Amino acid sequence: MSVRRVEHIMGLPISVDLRDGDAALAERAFAWLREADAQFSPFKPDSEVSRLDRGELTRDELTPDLVEVLSLCDWYEESTGGAFTANVPGRGLDPCAVVKGWAVQRAADILREGGASTYCVNAGGDVVTAGEPEPGKPWRVGVRHPEIADQLCVVLGVRDGAVATSALYERGQHILDGRTGQPVTGILSVTVFAEDLAIADTTATAAFALGRDGIEWAAAQEDCEVFIVDEDRRAFSSPGLPVHIC
Amino acid sequence: MKRAIPVLALSVAGLVPVWLYSPGAAHEGELTEVAAPETPQQTQAAPKTTGSAPKTTGSAPKATGSAPATQPQQQQQAQARTVSGPAVNTSEGTVQVQVTFQGTKITDVKALRAPNSNPTRMALPLLRESALKAQSADIDTVSGATATSEGYKQSLQAAIDGAQ
Repeated sequence: MSVRRVEHIMGLPISVDLRDGDAALAERAFAWLREADAQFSPFKPDSEVSRLDRGELTRDELTPDLVEVLSLCDWYEESTGGAFTANVPGRGLDPCAVVKGWAVQRAADILREGGASTYCVNAGGDVVTAGEPEPGKPWRVGVRHPEIADQLCVVLGVRDGAVATSALYERGQHILDGRTGQPVTGILSVTVFAEDLAIADTTATAAFALGRDGIEWAAAQEDCEVFIVDEDRRAFSSPGLPVHIC
Repeated sequence: MKRAIPVLALSVAGLVPVWLYSPGAAHEGELTEVAAPETPQQTQAAPKTTGSAPKTTGSAPKATGSAPATQPQQQQQAQARTVSGPAVNTSEGTVQVQVTFQGTKITDVKALRAPNSNPTRMALPLLRESALKAQSADIDTVSGATATSEGYKQSLQAAIDGAQ
């Protein structure tokens, strides 16, 4: 039994293409995403994140989930010398960049724990896949061309894995370099392939925030394969990137 | 391990002129040049971690660039060469690298020996560069679709979701 469903949560269109599970299982994944939105959104006054930001909670009182999210934020902030940050001055605590990939990965884990082994979850262009849509074939994940919306710049062949893209066309004007407070320049698009979407998504966002420095930084991240387009329209790819030959 | 990376980078940098200007170096005992085979050879036995620098001649390093079969490498394989550098003793331990060239471009670096580790591919920032291309292709999903609702309606991913 297969299910296909799209719902807007966390401001994202989230598509679930579940090939071996039922609607009730898909609903459990969506229910988790709605819970995550209520818990982690900095735009909801009663979320745990907002309460922490207002000083109504101390770090000792947080749920283990928020502790995990904040520790991921801290790790990437340190690793990028502050270019990536969940604490933009004047904007308060905003761990969205980590929460999105982390929560969507957990939604995919819910499908797997529910017995599914073949699915594709796509949250605003960040993707988790499992199994094979057809025997012997990987999920073909097209990476959007950074300047031509209906074209691709590379196609990846992925079985169990995650692909995330952070790009200027998407929300570049909203990604600030935490070191300078200025909008990021130098890169048009960063795509990261990893085992886990929390890692892939945060690595892509952090690399983007680093601008041109992000190219080498991303390439040096363990267990990540990258495809990066800079503003000179050069494409850089890791030797291990699972490029699908069409 | 992280501290070894600058050392490795220097080793690689040292190998480049050797490769470019001494193509006969393989006969001098310090460097081993191996044409990358069509299929990966058996993995080299783990080298000893003693401080002495064993000869690398005659060893059969694993072919680098043995990436997944989906990599578009077939046409270029004829020009691929791997070169093993000398073992260098540093304050961090013994370091030896192997570099794969396509023509004069480095396409891969692997640490044959690094301090406190087994032979391993280092997370060195080596990337392949190419011109940005545009293509359309049969795909299952899109990475990098726009995040906004309006953008989604016009996106490739919406077309895929709606087509099923």
